[in-house]
Amino acid sequence: MADPILEVHDLRVTFDTEGGLVPAVDGIDFAVAPGKTLAIVGESGSGKSVSSAAVMGILPSNAEVKGEVLLDGRELVGLPDDELRKIRGNDIALVFQDALSALNPYYTVGWQVAEAYRLHHAVSKKAAFKRAVELLDKVGIPDAARRAKSYPHEFSGGMRQRVVIAMALVNNPRVLIADEPTTALDVTVQAQIMQLLADVQEEFGTALVLISHDLGVVAEVADDVLVMYAGRAAERGTVRDLFYRAAHPYSLGLLGAMPRIDVPPKPRLTTIPGSPPSPGSIKTGCPFQPRCAYTERVGERCITERPELTPRPGEGDHEAACHLGRRPEVVS
Amino acid sequence: MPGLVWFVIRRLFSALLVMLALSLAVYLVFYAIPTDPALLACGKPCTPDRLEQARHFMQLDQSTMQQYLNFLKGIVAGRSYGEGAAVLHCDAPCFGYSFPLARPVSTLIADRFPVTASIALGAAVLWLVIGVSLGVLAALNRGRLLDRLAVGFALIGVSTPSFLFGLLAILVFGFWLNMVPVNGYVPLTESPVDWAWHLVTPWLVLAVLQASSYIRLTRAQMLEELNLDHITTARAKGAGERRVVVTHGLRGALVPIITLFGLDLGGLLGGAILTEKVFSMQGLGDLLIDSVGNLDVAVVVGVTLFAAFLVILANLVVDIVHGALDPRVSHG
Repeated sequence: MADPILEVHDLRVTFDTEGGLVPAVDGIDFAVAPGKTLAIVGESGSGKSVSSAAVMGILPSNAEVKGEVLLDGRELVGLPDDELRKIRGNDIALVFQDALSALNPYYTVGWQVAEAYRLHHAVSKKAAFKRAVELLDKVGIPDAARRAKSYPHEFSGGMRQRVVIAMALVNNPRVLIADEPTTALDVTVQAQIMQLLADVQEEFGTALVLISHDLGVVAEVADDVLVMYAGRAAERGTVRDLFYRAAHPYSLGLLGAMPRIDVPPKPRLTTIPGSPPSPGSIKTGCPFQPRCAYTERVGERCITERPELTPRPGEGDHEAACHLGRRPEVVS
Repeated sequence: MPGLVWFVIRRLFSALLVMLALSLAVYLVFYAIPTDPALLACGKPCTPDRLEQARHFMQLDQSTMQQYLNFLKGIVAGRSYGEGAAVLHCDAPCFGYSFPLARPVSTLIADRFPVTASIALGAAVLWLVIGVSLGVLAALNRGRLLDRLAVGFALIGVSTPSFLFGLLAILVFGFWLNMVPVNGYVPLTESPVDWAWHLVTPWLVLAVLQASSYIRLTRAQMLEELNLDHITTARAKGAGERRVVVTHGLRGALVPIITLFGLDLGGLLGGAILTEKVFSMQGLGDLLIDSVGNLDVAVVVGVTLFAAFLVILANLVVDIVHGALDPRVSHG
C-alpha cells in the first residue's frame, strides 16, 4: 500500500454526559492512501459517524478525543481550532448523509458552495460564485449557472446530494469523508452518486473514507473495510478478506443479512438477533457476545475477556477481534 | 410580484372588514354605558332644555345605529354638527369630532402620534439590539453564569410592571442623580438633542422590559438553530465560530424574532399608555385614557381604529418580510 494520506491510531472519543462518561469510540485504527477507498461499516450507534466527526474536529464540546489523527504525517488531535479550521473543508472534506438538512435553507446553493471556497481562498465573491457554478456543473447539475441561484428545497434529493458533494470538492480536498452519502436516495440515484465519487477519486487522487451500512455499495467501491461494533473494530481487512474470508461472527451476520441474487431466496431475510449494546454498557468480555451464535463453542472467555484484534489469513493485514480463532462456519 | 400585489390588496380588504366590525363593537360598548356625554357639554346650570339642545347638537338624540351610520358617512363625505351660525364642519375623511377637546379626532391623532411614535421607535431599536445580543450570548454560554444572568434579567423584566420600573427610573436618574429630565416631550423638529434627552429614560424603561421576551425567544431559537445539521456543515467547511453563529445560526433564528418585533412595534405605536402616563407625555395612549374618562366616544373610537389599523398593518408587513426572509415561503 502506498503511503497513507490519513492515518488514525487508537482513536478514542468519550462524551461527558449527565449520565456519566460514555465511550462512543473505544480505540480504532485505520489508514487510507491517496486514490483508495476505505469503508467503515457498522450498525447505527457503532461509532462510525462519531469517528469521522472526530477526524474533522467538529464534535460538540462535551466530547473528548484521544489518540492520533495524522494527515500526511501531521498530528491533528490537539491542534488549536484556528489551525484545524484551515484544514477542515480544505484538506479534509465531509459529505453528509442527509443533504436537505446539511444545506442551509436560507442561502442559494451557489452561495453555499462559493462560501466553502471563499473560506479557504482570498477571492472575490464573484470569482467564488463562478468557481461554485463550475463545480455544480462538474457534479452533473444541469444548467448549473441558473440552478446555482436556487435554494436547497428547490432541488430533488439526488441533485441536493450532488450539491453537497460539489461543496465538499470545491477546494480539491485530499481526503473526502462520505457519511452514508446515498442512504436517503433512490437506488438508481445511489449508483449515479457512487459513480460520481469514483470519477472524482480517479481524477484527483482523493482518498475516500466511505461510512456505510450498505454492503452492496461497499463491495462495489471499497479497497479496505473496517467493521465497527460498539465503538470498536470487530474486523478489518481488504474488501475481499471481508467478503470471502470474514472471520468475525458480526461480519458474517452482516453478510448473511444481505439479500443475495445468486442463492435461492429464503422466506425471510436473515437478521442478527438482539440489538447493539448502548455505548459503555459492556464492561467486560466481548461486546458482541450477547448476540453471538458462537459463544457456546468458545465458552467463558467471551464473557470474561475482551478479544483483541489478531491476524487472520488473507491478503495482508486481515485482522479480527474474536476468540473463535479460525474462520467460523456459518451457523444459522 | 403581481402575486404580492394581490396579496396586499386582499389583506387590506380584510383589514377594512375587521375595522368596520371593530368600530361597531366600540360604538355598541360605549352606548351600553348608562351615562350621557351631553351632560359634560351642557354646563351649569344644566336645564333640561339646554341638555336637549346639546344632545341634538352632538347628534346623540338619534338611535345608536343611526349614529354609527353617521360616523361611517362622515369618513366618506364629511359631516357637520348643528345648524345656522353655530354650525361645525368636519371635513372628509371625518373620523368624528371631540366636543370636550373641541377638535376633529383626526387632528388630535395627528398631533399625538409623533409623541407615541418617538417613544415606540426609539425603544424598539434598543430592545431589539439588547434582546437579540443577550439572547445570542445566553445561547452560546448555555448553563454558564452569563446565561443565568441573562435569563434572570429576562425574568425580572417580564414580571416588572412598566409603571413601577418607570417611576423607579425617574426617581433614581431624574431626581437622585439628576441626570435626565423627569417628564415632558420636545418635538424632534424643535430640538433633536432635547427630543432625545427627554426620551432616553422612557426608551430605556420600555426597552429593558420588552427586551425580556426577545432574550428568551432569541436564546431558544439559537439553541434550536445551532443544533441543526447545516451548522455542522458550516463548521466542516472551515467557517469560524463567529461566522457559524451569525451567518448560519442567527440567520435562521431571525424569522420568528422579526415576526414578534413587527407585532410588538405595531401594538406599541397605537399608544404606550402606561409609559406615556408615567413620563407625562401627551401621546396616543394618554389621549385614549383621558377620552375614556371624558366619555369622549368619538376619540375612543378614532384612536382604537387607528391602533387597530397599525396592528393590521404590522401584520401585513411581517408577512411580507417573512416571505423575503424565508426562501421556502417566497420560492415555494
